[in-house]
Order: sequence, then C-alpha cells, then structure tokens
Amino acid sequence: MTTTVAHDQVHAIAQEVFAAMVDGDLGLLLPWEGELPALDDALVAWVDLFGDWSGRAVLVTAEGTAQELTRALMGLHPDEPVERADLEDAFGEIANVVGGNLKALLPNPGTLGLPRIGSDLPPLEGAVRALHLPLSWRGRLFVVDVWVTTAAGSTTEGAS
Amino acid sequence: MRALVIDDSRTMRRIVSSTLQRIGFDTVEAEHGRDALDHLEAGERVDLACIDWNMPVMDGLTFVTEVRANPAWRDVTLMMVTTESEQSQIVRALAAGAHEYLIKPFTADAIRDKLDLLGLVPAEELA
Repeated sequence: MTTTVAHDQVHAIAQEVFAAMVDGDLGLLLPWEGELPALDDALVAWVDLFGDWSGRAVLVTAEGTAQELTRALMGLHPDEPVERADLEDAFGEIANVVGGNLKALLPNPGTLGLPRIGSDLPPLEGAVRALHLPLSWRGRLFVVDVWVTTAAGSTTEGAS
Repeated sequence: MRALVIDDSRTMRRIVSSTLQRIGFDTVEAEHGRDALDHLEAGERVDLACIDWNMPVMDGLTFVTEVRANPAWRDVTLMMVTTESEQSQIVRALAAGAHEYLIKPFTADAIRDKLDLLGLVPAEELA
C-alpha cells in the first residue's frame, strides 16, 4: 500500500491542534524561516501508529517552549511554575492529538499507541523519517516529524 | 448536574472539567475506564460521562460497553471525547451505546454545542 502524507496536511493538523487547545487562533503556528537553531534542552513527545501504515508521530521542542505550552494548555499564570509531571502530560497530549489526527488521514487506520516523552527519541526498528516539518510557535522552534516503517511502503509529498 | 471526566491525561481532564464547570456541572475525574467504573460501583451518581478512547487499564469503548450492560446506569449520558476520528470508530462507539462523539482537538464551544444537542445545558446557560 502506498500512502501519501503531505507537509500541508500535517501542518494543518498542527495548526488546528494549537488553535483549539493552545492559542484560540489558527495563525500562530507558522513555517520556520531560516536556519534551525540547536536545541540543547530538547524535549521529545511521540505516539506510535500500528496497522497497514505503521510509524511514529514525533514532536520536538525546547523544554522552555514545552513549559509555555503547558501553561497555555492548563490555564496557568505566566509566572507559575510548571511541575514536571504536568509538562510531560501536556506535551504528550499534544503529540497524542496530532498523532490521532494524522492516523485519520490514512486509508486503513490501525491503532494508536499511548504518548511517550523523553529527551531523546528511541529507535523504531525499520523506520525512516519521512516528513520533517519545522514550525515557529511565537518565534520558538516546534518540529513535527513523521517516521514510517519501511514495511508500510508509505511516502510523503514534500510540497508545502 | 454532575459529570465524570475520564481521560488518562490530567491536562485533558483539567480542560474538559473546567469547561463543564463553566457550563454548570460539578465534575469528578477518573484516569481510565476501570477507575471510572469504580466510581460508579461505589455509588457515584453522574448525569454525563466524557470518555477518552485510548487509555491504559481499560479503554473508553470497553467502559461504554460495561456501562450499557448495567441497567442501573442507563440514565448516564455517554460522550466520547477522543482523537479517534475515523467514521468506523465513531460507528463502533455509537453502536456500543455512546450518545455523542467529540473529536480532539475541540473548543469549549464545541463541548457546549454537543451538550446542547443532548439537552444537558442548563436553561440559565442557554438564556
């Protein structure tokens, strides 16, 4: 089976998630312009997809950005400290919603794993990164990657 | 009115609960389907359950099936609140006994509109 997942579709999903859950505005998650900065304190959230099309939806951002997202999601004051458990839960839930909506694009959707969080992305056997979408949320780098297992025979469209 | 909010994400429980509270619900939270059944079996009376699908221990579809199998809980309105957005999954949930289906991401207005359809928005809120 060959499945096409386009940059535009994934960007639209991310925009919708941020508009509904974080910002209340569709226009605050934009394509990243220019060189990508190094993320020394990267936080990674991912969900695995299983089925005819198997792979992984991955979000990467700086921990400080994830803290800001957590405050926005949970309605916390800008100066309010963010507990580690809340940070991991909130960032993981964003990955869960992005992954779930990505799954809905597929012609024969399978099942969605539970969200996971870490400072590094563990390897997914037989998978290749099929889509890399660096975005800017309020000027901060927020990356959406899609990995597919080679057995899935999936492709992506680079047009954005 | 009282609502049971079932989601393994504390963030999502907080978002759904605060939205329901603004509409006029008292809320109680559960981390998964088994936890929610424990609340009901302990005598918790709720008018509405908002149910995530993918959860550890017991998923939302199993919870819906369990609730619908018990006549004592027939008055509980069941609304799935989930990322599972394929038509086949919606049909499965409704066939199992869910009354409504809300896809994540959602807005507060979307929850309110679904509850309005179910007749669960207090009259003073509709005014």
